[in-house]
Amino acid sequence: MSEQFIHIENAEKTFPLGGGKEYNALKGINLSIKQGEFISLIGHSGCGKSTLLNMIAGLSLATGGLVQLEGMMVSGPGPDRMVVFQNYSLLPWLTVRDNVALAVDEVLTEKSPEERKEIVERYIKMVGLIGSIDKLPTEISGGMRQRVAIARALAIQPKVLLLDEPFGVLDALTRGKLQEQLTRICEETGVSAIMVTHEVDEAVLMSDRIVMLTNGPGSKVGGILEVDIPRPRKRLEAVRHPSYYQLRSEVIYFLNQQKQVKKMRARKVPVVSRHGLEKVNLEIGFVPLTACAPIAIAQEKGFFTKHGLDEVSLVRESSWRGIVDGLRNGFIDGAQMPSGMPLWMTLGGPGESTPIVSSLTMSRNGNAITLDRRFLEQGVHTLADFKKVLDASPEKPHRMGVVHPSSMHNLLLRYWLASAGIDPDKDLELKQIPPAQMAVDLKAGTIDGFCVGDPWNLRAEMEHTGFTIARDVDIWSGHPGKVLGCRADWAAAYPNTHIALTKALLDACQYCADPANAQEIREILARREYLGTPMEYIQLSPEANIAETEHQPIAHHVFAGEGVNRPSRTEHLWQMTQMARWGDVPFPRNWVEVLEATCQVGVFSTASRELGQTEISYIRNSIELVDGTKFSAEDPIAYLNSLEIKRDITMAEIPIGPGRKAA
Amino acid sequence: MSASLPSKGTMFAGVNITKLWKDLLPPTIAITLFLLIWEGLSQSKVTLLPGPSSLFTDERTRTLLFFPFYDRGGIDKGMFWQTLASLQRVAISYTLAAIVGIGTGIAIGTTPLLSKALDPLFLFLRTVPPLAWVPISLAALNKNEPAALFVIFITAVWPILINTAVGVREIPDDYNNVAKVIQVSKQKYFFKILLPSALPYIFTGLRVAISLSWLAIIAAEIVMSGIVGIGFFIWEAYQNNYISEVVLALVYIGMVGLLLDKFMEWLQAQIMKGQ
Repeated sequence: MSEQFIHIENAEKTFPLGGGKEYNALKGINLSIKQGEFISLIGHSGCGKSTLLNMIAGLSLATGGLVQLEGMMVSGPGPDRMVVFQNYSLLPWLTVRDNVALAVDEVLTEKSPEERKEIVERYIKMVGLIGSIDKLPTEISGGMRQRVAIARALAIQPKVLLLDEPFGVLDALTRGKLQEQLTRICEETGVSAIMVTHEVDEAVLMSDRIVMLTNGPGSKVGGILEVDIPRPRKRLEAVRHPSYYQLRSEVIYFLNQQKQVKKMRARKVPVVSRHGLEKVNLEIGFVPLTACAPIAIAQEKGFFTKHGLDEVSLVRESSWRGIVDGLRNGFIDGAQMPSGMPLWMTLGGPGESTPIVSSLTMSRNGNAITLDRRFLEQGVHTLADFKKVLDASPEKPHRMGVVHPSSMHNLLLRYWLASAGIDPDKDLELKQIPPAQMAVDLKAGTIDGFCVGDPWNLRAEMEHTGFTIARDVDIWSGHPGKVLGCRADWAAAYPNTHIALTKALLDACQYCADPANAQEIREILARREYLGTPMEYIQLSPEANIAETEHQPIAHHVFAGEGVNRPSRTEHLWQMTQMARWGDVPFPRNWVEVLEATCQVGVFSTASRELGQTEISYIRNSIELVDGTKFSAEDPIAYLNSLEIKRDITMAEIPIGPGRKAA
Repeated sequence: MSASLPSKGTMFAGVNITKLWKDLLPPTIAITLFLLIWEGLSQSKVTLLPGPSSLFTDERTRTLLFFPFYDRGGIDKGMFWQTLASLQRVAISYTLAAIVGIGTGIAIGTTPLLSKALDPLFLFLRTVPPLAWVPISLAALNKNEPAALFVIFITAVWPILINTAVGVREIPDDYNNVAKVIQVSKQKYFFKILLPSALPYIFTGLRVAISLSWLAIIAAEIVMSGIVGIGFFIWEAYQNNYISEVVLALVYIGMVGLLLDKFMEWLQAQIMKGQ
């Protein structure tokens, strides 16, 4: 561990409160920082980001865990970890020169007085204040004072610069200038820096990595974002970089999520049991897509109530991240999710494993791959044409959008690309973008194409920004689209509710599959609380397609039918292999066990039996795919090994036991 | 409109006469009115207090007024000598109080244990009025002169001590953090951070103390007979019913008090330039 520059392991900080109580500000903080990195700590007020900074500075020591600098425990403050405070902390009775000199004279004692004088002047010159060198801090502006503080900090040549909201009290214009100046200085001197901030743009512009802290008490690292914007950075160039807004929205999403968590914590909902069901007050999450029809219908047409779930409220999330976090934190009871997500979460895709079960496949098909219209003009009609274009311009980065690593869109797009010898990570760059943003990004030209569920393909087509190059039916006809997902511990705690929920949604699926209801469903989905999009973009299935547009019928959702809703282990296994193939999750050694726990066919069977549907015997048939290969569940490891384009595949034992207790 | 016009004031030798006039006129009127009412009241015999004109009409007082430097030996000296004698006492005791007060204040401010131990005692002693110290100091020291000095000292020391201690305790965390991070030496910390940072508080204490000690000298001298000093001068004049002399002495005391305060203000401005 000594090769780590700054190493924080399981650090925690508790403050004693009056009356023998204590406040746990930070808990289980793990963070490693490389030499020369610029790190931002971001989070809501009171999340302990300054506390963490002070722990590294040694001004307030960790009450538990390790905080090391170059392998040495931090046991107190020292000039190798110089701090730039929010309110400058210049001594007002000393001139600019004397302020810097005080630090330099104390720290660089091995240098001669002449050398020290030269250093003082050099650093004051670096921040452009040589003209004010003999002024008192009261005679210069706030921005200038902070520059002096930065000069003072850098002049003593610290190993790491610790900045505590350095620009917090400055006006926007000055702040912008200083951000750029500090970025430049850090790039030139190569000094490592850790900055506490609550400004999202500041964090994205300046950092190599953004460390996001969750809300206290017991704040931890909620996520770390790599900022891949090249250096040297200039504000205007950085803002135009395609990653900029994505990173920005990631951070904002995180901060909003934290705010929600706080709100949810404040209102603890008691469990309401009724009609022999353990819990009838459910929060069901969905993402506004045409495929969310069963959930919308179950609510609007009273299928939830019919099966005794009379207090269901729907939670609209704009991205799958919201669903994942809602389930992990226990704020939603169940959700519509991409078919790969139950396994992805079970296998630890989001960082830690949250066992999820699925008892129902709610839709199949409904996806397509859309490319920018400009490729059509270049004569791209097939995948082979697309590969030619990519091969012809290797220097040009091509980006495509997918909604989530575990979504079928991602897996199908990758499979489709790889089938033509295109490496989806090397020849292309796949970006994770919320569904609703795809069409906007395509129009803006920040992505060259996407694979997503409707209405977004249809919309790009109708707005003449993109064209559909492949439909999912061409890649894998009848692939699972969206499934119902619940936490394993939730399902174990409320088994009858789980069955009732499956029944309600199965009923709704059947309602959605009836072409006679298509018009009504489209009207419901078009409403603001669901998709909030004009009706002509919402098409359900080929049979239900009402010839309102001249476009080819690309919408082909299948909501019910023979074998449509039954969760299939073979299908889940295929997705497991694909996610392992692309390095998103490890492949579990105990894959049979994992599959059985995740794919709850039993719940589905009970539900459909209770609905009076004849149970179709389970046939373990193989899956046929675009490249003509057949996938069978016999030997997934051999299958993985046989693939040519893949990432490094890791194997792991995934413990499937009784899950955590429901929150 | 005034922005485009030159200043309206008439300038004379670099001094803005109009502004000076505006600044001086209201207090002049107020003082004149006050003196007139006083004079009126004493002329109409509503009060037995002689009016301000008695400073000139009363012969003894006139002598004192016009010849402040006479010295007939003993305690029969001009007002200047009387005042000077009092000021000397204040100077000695005040200096002592400043040294002890600032020193102890810093010690208390930097040592939480000391602060805990001594705070209650100081808070208690501080509330004892100067006059109450007189009998104790007389009893303890037996002589007039040292007793007077002690009373001034004990009056002046508390505000200095307490303000200094607060000033040291209130050094902003940021300054202390900077000192901790760059690991400043003790000596440098004292002179570059502690002292300058506590200085405004110390000066507040010093200014309060100078007013208090000037108050205390009068009290101390009144009861200590046979010494030269403005306090005893007042007491003696009262005993002999020379009330207009008392009035004159009051004018002196007021003026000296004002000058002392202004002096401290000036000193503070000089030392803390730019802060």
